[in-house]
Amino acid sequence: MTTHVKDSWMSTRLPCLGGICATYFQKNRAANAPYFAALPFLIAMAAAFLTLSGAVLAVYYNPWHAFDSVQFIDRNVNNGWLIRTYHATGTTMIFGVTYLYLFRSLLRRAYRAPGEFVWMLSVKLLAVLMLTGWLGYVLTGGAAGYWSLFNAANAALSMGGLPGAVGLWFFGGPAGGDTLARLEVFHALLAVALLLVVWLLHASRRAIAAPVASGKGVAFYPYYLAQYFAALAVFALVFVVLAFYAPHLGTSHMNQLPAESLAVPLGGGVPWYLAPAAGMLGVFPGSGLSIVAAIAAIVVLYALPWLDRSGRAGRCGKLYGFFTWVLALDVIGLGYAANSSSGAAPTLAGVFTAWYFFHFLVLTPVVTAMEAE
Amino acid sequence: MRRFLASIFALGTLTAACHAARAADTLSPLHFQSQGPLGTIDKAAAQRGYRVFESVCAGCHAVGQVHYRDLEALGLTPDQAAGEAVAAGGNLGSPLKGAAPMNMGGAIPPDLSSIAAQRHGGARYIYDFLTGFAPAPAGTTLLPGHYYNTAFPGGETAMPPVLRDNAVTYADGTPATSAQEAADLAEFLTWTADPNLDARHQIGFRAIIFFAFLAIIAIASKRRVWSAQI
Ligand code: HEC
Repeated sequence: MTTHVKDSWMSTRLPCLGGICATYFQKNRAANAPYFAALPFLIAMAAAFLTLSGAVLAVYYNPWHAFDSVQFIDRNVNNGWLIRTYHATGTTMIFGVTYLYLFRSLLRRAYRAPGEFVWMLSVKLLAVLMLTGWLGYVLTGGAAGYWSLFNAANAALSMGGLPGAVGLWFFGGPAGGDTLARLEVFHALLAVALLLVVWLLHASRRAIAAPVASGKGVAFYPYYLAQYFAALAVFALVFVVLAFYAPHLGTSHMNQLPAESLAVPLGGGVPWYLAPAAGMLGVFPGSGLSIVAAIAAIVVLYALPWLDRSGRAGRCGKLYGFFTWVLALDVIGLGYAANSSSGAAPTLAGVFTAWYFFHFLVLTPVVTAMEAE
Repeated sequence: MRRFLASIFALGTLTAACHAARAADTLSPLHFQSQGPLGTIDKAAAQRGYRVFESVCAGCHAVGQVHYRDLEALGLTPDQAAGEAVAAGGNLGSPLKGAAPMNMGGAIPPDLSSIAAQRHGGARYIYDFLTGFAPAPAGTTLLPGHYYNTAFPGGETAMPPVLRDNAVTYADGTPATSAQEAADLAEFLTWTADPNLDARHQIGFRAIIFFAFLAIIAIASKRRVWSAQI
């Protein structure tokens, strides 16, 4: 294969494609990289996979008979159960790698200049992913998803003014077929937005990659191709174990019930990947405040590059690293509290939520400034 | 996961055990062939479970997501399945509907199609529920039209105890004790909730072997490529 963009057959006929190909042969990448650096690639693969499996499901899905149409896919469509398992487990996988990727960025403080833009895209990725994931959970028409939608839509509609109008535009009503039909469209549009964010994330990560001394770098092909392929194979292995042996991992029995049942499920029932957010929202049940809390939780993440006072090249101390681990436990705790029926759960969720904001708004500026000295 | 690994190691013994299980006794100790990572539906038990369902439970409950033609997956011949359908006044494409929805003591008998997926514990819970009817302990007052049940959340259910010994006669000669009927129903309802269970475990096992090898080869080739560097 030629590495000279000028002479390649393709580049004279479609110059931009030739240019893209050529970047994979330029020896401008670091000559060593940990496997974990492939996480964004895995996110991209999972997003593409989810889009494809989701496209198949969309053919058979009927928002006016949501639960029944999902049953139909599972039981009567040829290999429909496989596609649905792929879509459900793919969701678990993409959230798994995204949470891992974000946690790694936090630990390495990759959000500091010049990484702020990459970090902001990563937070957007999480936000879009959460919203898409929640819509998917609602679309199943299960009892838990139905009540989650009902509460969210009512909270949005009750806000009045512009937020209420946006809520009405988004939901169209509190629940039911017409709402689900809309949400199905948003679910699909957000999937496209997700792909776009993932692509921007890649491009911006490449842009800030540390320059490699000439003669010391390696090309994407074959070095990174081999590494990404190995990462993908391990990813696929985990995926098939979960898809075929734990297809309902981290999801609730409650959502296997049709939404038609009149009984209101007793809280909880949120899939694991939404549980931390649900725990936080549950602190302010059924009010516009819960939506404010959700936005605030994203905003503090977004503001992290400025909350961290250690500066571009400041020293990274151990103490802040320790607090980052505590934050991870805090978020996991929030998830458990959200799905727990114990009497202490609401208090715990409150404490964990408070710690989350305390971590970003107080600990981060103070500890990083202290350690940078 | 640990269960999964354990059974990979015990693969040989397990498959042997499965064959033994098919010979009959699922009660001592109580076990369901469908449970566990390598489980498959015990078709003989599920067929017996269907027999009990159709003669005892269908008066109140539907299994509306399952059609008579689907019974062929349990080993019924097309003629047998059609016979079942005609006896119930339908055809191969009809769902296993029960009586019209009724209200008993404020509760409606739920459709049982996915009940094993909808309850914590799945098959085991169904067995415990069906065998959990007992005289109420002294001092408990039950709601009108309710029955004491040790497995049901809250301890009292609107479903009456309907299983009894020899409620049906099993064609394969298995003694139809009420415990046996309950276990067979649990296996049948596990199948109705997850009719693709066998295929899922089978494809999964092959896929894991494939991707495990692929991962090993991919990692080895990555190391080779990178070690040849510069
Ligand atoms: C006389 C009518 C009737 C018959 C016959 C009957 N059931 Fe029920 N069943 C009910 C009612 C009513 C409920 C709802 C109980 C409640 O919610 O308290 C119920 C509930 C159940 C449940 C759900 C329990 C739970 O956890 O909510 C299962 C499982 C069940 N039945 C299985 C069976 C099986 C298996 C049979 C056949 C052996 C059967 N039923 C026969 C009326 C019946």
